[in-house]
Amino acid sequence: MTEPAEQPLNAGDLPQAIVEPPRRRVAFVWIVPLLAAAVAIGIAVQRVLTEGPTITILFHAAGGLAAGKTVLKYKDVDIGQVTEVRLAQEFSKVAVTVKVDRSARGLMVEDARFWIVAPRVSLSGVSGLGTLLSGNYIGMQVGRSTREQHQFVGLETPPAITDQPGRRFLLKAHDLGSLGIGAPIYYRRLTVGEIAAYALAPDGDGIDVTVFINAAYERYVTTETRFWDASGIDLTLNAEGLELRTQSLVSILAGGLAFDAPAFATGGEPASENAVFTLYGSRAAAMRQPDPVARRYLLYPESAAGLRVGAPVKLLGLSAGEVSEIGVALDPKTRKFRPRVLITFFPERLLARLAGAQAGAGRAFMDAGPAARLELIRHQVDDLGLRAQVQSGNLLTGERFVSLDYHPEAPREKLDWDQDPLVIPVLAGGFDAIEAQVQGVLAQVDKILVKVDKMPLDGIADELNKTIKTLDAVLKAADTKTLPEVSQTLAGLDRTLATAQRVLKDTNATLLSPDAPGQQELRDALQEVARTARSLRVLTDYLERHPEALIRGKGQENQ
Amino acid sequence: MTSAGLTAAHLGLTTCATCGLLSRPASDTVPGHCPRCGASLHRRHPDAIQRTWALTIAAAICYIPANALPVMITTVAGSATPDTIMGGVVFLFTSGSWPLGLIVLIASVLIPLGKLLAIAWLLIAVQRRALGGERARMRTIRLVRLIGRWSMLDIFVDTFTVALVQLAPLMSVQPGLGVVFFGAVVVLTMLAAESFDPRLLWDRNPLESTHD
Repeated sequence: MTEPAEQPLNAGDLPQAIVEPPRRRVAFVWIVPLLAAAVAIGIAVQRVLTEGPTITILFHAAGGLAAGKTVLKYKDVDIGQVTEVRLAQEFSKVAVTVKVDRSARGLMVEDARFWIVAPRVSLSGVSGLGTLLSGNYIGMQVGRSTREQHQFVGLETPPAITDQPGRRFLLKAHDLGSLGIGAPIYYRRLTVGEIAAYALAPDGDGIDVTVFINAAYERYVTTETRFWDASGIDLTLNAEGLELRTQSLVSILAGGLAFDAPAFATGGEPASENAVFTLYGSRAAAMRQPDPVARRYLLYPESAAGLRVGAPVKLLGLSAGEVSEIGVALDPKTRKFRPRVLITFFPERLLARLAGAQAGAGRAFMDAGPAARLELIRHQVDDLGLRAQVQSGNLLTGERFVSLDYHPEAPREKLDWDQDPLVIPVLAGGFDAIEAQVQGVLAQVDKILVKVDKMPLDGIADELNKTIKTLDAVLKAADTKTLPEVSQTLAGLDRTLATAQRVLKDTNATLLSPDAPGQQELRDALQEVARTARSLRVLTDYLERHPEALIRGKGQENQ
Repeated sequence: MTSAGLTAAHLGLTTCATCGLLSRPASDTVPGHCPRCGASLHRRHPDAIQRTWALTIAAAICYIPANALPVMITTVAGSATPDTIMGGVVFLFTSGSWPLGLIVLIASVLIPLGKLLAIAWLLIAVQRRALGGERARMRTIRLVRLIGRWSMLDIFVDTFTVALVQLAPLMSVQPGLGVVFFGAVVVLTMLAAESFDPRLLWDRNPLESTHD
């Protein structure tokens, strides 16, 4: 540049030095943008890799959801965030778009369910209180499918069961009754599950109730299990007595189901997932033996008073059927009305009670065919004198039942053996006697009640006890279950009264007797007060005479 | 050569960058050290253009995540809300306080972008040896250097908020990753502006500028 100008002039013959073009150096400062690019790209790649799916959930209402705020939670872990809330389907629904974390991608399968978690107060509990502070969020229940899906329809109410281990069963009910989602299910009065869902059956003929039984108890649901509605109070008054059944306070208020295997059940395999059961209206209905073979017979008793549909039919005192219809008929000969009672007879109930080898013989007989069966019945009625009789079952309620017994002395009746259903002759009489007996018993009860009225208070318990014992003895048919409990309660009352008396006596002793410490102390205290009053009088007298003593004190001259 | 006329470089002289002593370099290729203070002498800052470019590009790269990533994560009662710079600007505009939104927009978005563009413009001008406008370019570089030291305001606000708002279960504020990149943008543009050698603006002769 400027240097060559200053070269010595006589050096022109010397070789000229070569000026190499300066090497292009790559400054190490380029590491900075490379590093920045690497970090930025790294973050971008990480973002893309952690990018999860975006799902859309349809709800009826947004229920406190807000874009950018509301989160999607599974097992109380945030797994996504609401990015958009907008109206959809011609403004009838709310479409909520949720960006789901990549880690939770596997949860977005076609049978995953979503709902809005808000604070809820119901009879069976309070839930979602945490959302009061954090705002509502979307809860989810994972499905079992493996097919990925990104469009969902949200549930309006949270499912009662989320993902506890256990089994679901389907119950076919006639109506929903007072059941609700979350209502408890009892097994031997222990809560073992709850109602997970219910829906009208597809054909509109009944309700499909889905129940969930916790894994620990699922093996108690067998193919033999019967479910029944244990809601409220089940009070039955029938020929067999008074029955009161409840499961728990919650089931009275919120409804509930119970299940058990009937007594006649023989083992049974544990029921499989989604097995279908019938939901019975009551325990009695559930526990009734299924009677596949039913024979119908007709009776024309004197009176149908006290009989009702469902009243038991007993053969020699054993339950063998029930009254299935009560009507009226006109006697063609006498032109007189008479009750017409259709009974259903279940021969299998009797077969079940046959012992050992006889059972086989009985079954063979039952399967023999109509002719042989007719012959058997004809033999029973004509030769052995089998007759029906309407008898009193429960004297208190007046319930009656149909009893089939042998009455060899009964006059032979001419019967038409071809009609269907067969008419079984009814033995009249015996009725009045029973009626009189009832009257007598009632009179006695009346007398006892009058006596009860007159009793002194502290004797009531014992007397009642005795009365109830008498009643018990007299009313053989009366319930044997409830009365001991009553007597127990009354004994308890007696004990309570005795205790109360003792307490009163003790109080007497401590407070009111002349030598009681309280009394003595009171007397002492009063004497003390009297003494104080006396000395006060002395003082005032003295001051009246010597008012100067207030200032000067008690002078010596006054002594 | 409209205003300056002669330059030290023209006369083969070098100024010490540290003490300002004008001296003759030891040789053409190796200028040697300053006879007064002992600092190594350069006719022009070595690799000034390359270094400035590198830092500017790095700042430009960081500018993208600085705006895309949240700078602040506000957690109110369990629900976290990440906020980006532009998100904040949009929020301020929509919530009615547009003057405030404008300030944030200018201070946090436009100024860093303007600085990057200004430095890039200067570098291109130097490399193309564009004639004229040296005064305007000098004013630009002075302005960029002046603004540079005030650009950390965002970081300052962010740090303050994060430190103050820590009401653990109810509300808390966490810094986002974006703020790191924003800080990187500010620092890198400052370094780029410093490493730029304004003397290159009036080096016309291709032989004179052996800067790259």
